[in-house]
Amino acid sequence: MTQTAHDWPTLLCDNARSGGQAPQPWRAPGRARWQTNVEGAVRGSPVLQGELLYVPSLAGFLNAINIRSGRLQWRFKAPAAIHSTPSISSGRVLFGCSDGKVIAIDAVTGTKSWETAAEDEVWTSPVVQNEAVFFGSADGAMYAVQVETGAPKWKKVLGGRIYSTAHVAEKRVYVGCGDGNIYALDALTGHVFWKTATGNGIDCSPALADDTLLIGSQDFFFYALDAGSGAIRWKYEAELGITSAPAISGDLVIFGCKAGTLHALDIRTGKVIWKTRTGQAITAPAVVSGSVIWIQAGITFAINLSDGKVLWRAGLGNSLQSAPVVTNHAVYLAGMEGEVYALE
Amino acid sequence: MDRRAFVKRSCLGGVALLLDHWGTSPAYSQDLIPPAPPIHVNEPAGTAVSSLRMPGLYPGRVVEISDERSIVANRVSQSIVRQMIEQGMRELTGEKDPRLAWSKFIQPQDTVGIKINPSGAPACCSSPEIVREIVAGVQSVGVPARNIFVYDRYAYEMDIGSYQALVPMGVRVTGVQEHKLDVSGYDPNVFCEANFFGEWETRSYMASIVSSGVTKIINVPTMKDHSAAGVTGCLKNLGYGTFNNVERSHRRPFSFTDPLIGIMCSVEPLRSKAVLHIMDGTRIVWHGGPLTQNPDFIFPAGLIMVGTDPVAMDTIELEKIEAKRRKEGVPSVWSRDPKSLTNDGGAFYQDASKNLFYRQPHHIAAAGKLGLGISDRKQIEHHVIHVA
Repeated sequence: MTQTAHDWPTLLCDNARSGGQAPQPWRAPGRARWQTNVEGAVRGSPVLQGELLYVPSLAGFLNAINIRSGRLQWRFKAPAAIHSTPSISSGRVLFGCSDGKVIAIDAVTGTKSWETAAEDEVWTSPVVQNEAVFFGSADGAMYAVQVETGAPKWKKVLGGRIYSTAHVAEKRVYVGCGDGNIYALDALTGHVFWKTATGNGIDCSPALADDTLLIGSQDFFFYALDAGSGAIRWKYEAELGITSAPAISGDLVIFGCKAGTLHALDIRTGKVIWKTRTGQAITAPAVVSGSVIWIQAGITFAINLSDGKVLWRAGLGNSLQSAPVVTNHAVYLAGMEGEVYALE
Repeated sequence: MDRRAFVKRSCLGGVALLLDHWGTSPAYSQDLIPPAPPIHVNEPAGTAVSSLRMPGLYPGRVVEISDERSIVANRVSQSIVRQMIEQGMRELTGEKDPRLAWSKFIQPQDTVGIKINPSGAPACCSSPEIVREIVAGVQSVGVPARNIFVYDRYAYEMDIGSYQALVPMGVRVTGVQEHKLDVSGYDPNVFCEANFFGEWETRSYMASIVSSGVTKIINVPTMKDHSAAGVTGCLKNLGYGTFNNVERSHRRPFSFTDPLIGIMCSVEPLRSKAVLHIMDGTRIVWHGGPLTQNPDFIFPAGLIMVGTDPVAMDTIELEKIEAKRRKEGVPSVWSRDPKSLTNDGGAFYQDASKNLFYRQPHHIAAAGKLGLGISDRKQIEHHVIHVA
């Protein structure tokens, strides 16, 4: 399968968490092209390749939905609930399960290619880089396996449960941990280069902007670290804990906190550019698409990137971790009620 | 399963209790509240009744430890709550060694459920820091982490509280329901049945994790005003956090939390398994409970209460919330003034003089009448330890 411009193969579109970023004019959605319901609540985010939208559910199904019709093309029954956002690579869809398995299935047919297992649940999204798949587990370990077979490459036990999806750069794996530390590991061996402590556990997924690692903690602080050394460049205090993974756009980093505030900070200084109240706790990641931020927090908001003003809102897409897939033609989103929408 | 193996406790929990407190409760004296219907309980016959069953080893004893350093800038201090819980356990049991104190309730072969209250997450819910210390206490007597469950009815509320990431490795974090209509986690053979308002589903089923999954339960309620029950503490967290389909007991402005909460807590095996209560009062919600996120109605009280008698503990909790409401100049939770009622949820969450229901704080005394504990303030042995 060849990736096309509107494909969205992993959490926030790509490993850089760019959210697409393609310049596109803002146009408020006017109608639902289709709406469908999958069995079970949807906690992870959908991903998109070609004509198929892949939607994981807590009933244990990976649903492949045709984006033109909204019809279910096939669904794969996993052995346990799927909290994880899937990733697509080399014609396979990869995802973690609550029984500790990570499964790769054929993206076209829905048949299983391989599976591997951690010792406890995997809610994180598998990240694919340089022929390897990286994922963390509640068993406290980071794993690297071969993308073609699922055969293990390395396993590194850290100090707490892992619910943070790793950010994988060329040679390093960055991840937050329930023990309150942010870790940088060698992508080839799992060796720990550095770890930096925060004041409480972490379930936020990091992002990287040049050499600055950005991540939130349940200690209410958002951290900017030197990616090379782990030294804290600045930290910013939010009103409550931060689970929402940061999105990056130019000099801005955008994330939500559990008090229901969306924050936009200058990556270099940590200075607040704007803050916007959404009302409900924000735990899902924001998606930046062109000049607009999309965020699901109880309901779905479209927010102006430059000043934080709400451009559009709709009472759908109640989400814990699900973030929309934004293309030139439609916005695809899912939520805890199991509803999936194509808005245009 | 053969229904004949079960007991129907018809009138015991329903009509008899109702008639008993009809004459004594101020809630019913103004003829504002309709009488509760009979409530039938279907519970396993021959359930082994534990000597630890509520009100447990120390009826009427409530240990309160306060330390203002336990919550600073809205963050709970791990080291301070560790000291508070250790001190509370020693004071409750008379044991000098905290491990011996824990072993009064938990044995190494137990499977332990820690029943949290995440319903006000993220602003006010059972603190993960307190949950971690309880896990450590349970582990200190030899229970392996894999035999410890941190649980509640709603998985999504636990998710908002990030408990999955914040508890020690190996401990299992379980929500009984993934969504509102999920019934797969409930035991079809243990239920309370009543028709309150003509609802089509008249049964509330016990969570399977309680009926057959764990052998002991440690209850970790928060201290909150409750728009229907008056307060939510030990009893509400256990009763309405164990049975499904409980929202049907409220229809504005009426609520049958009295007597349903107490009756649910009296159902075996819940009553026998709930051996210890550690109430999180690091934050107290004095209005807008149980779900408010309004910081104006949440104050950092910096206290923890420990006991085995849920009625006595909730009686003290009610006293504290009433005192705070008095200080703030807003109506008592006992108020039956129709003028204080509103149908506007927005007004309720912004104005502490408004409420959605006639609150039912008498559910605590009603639970006492069912034998779950002591509500007579004169008989409650309230140990107060002020650390800082």
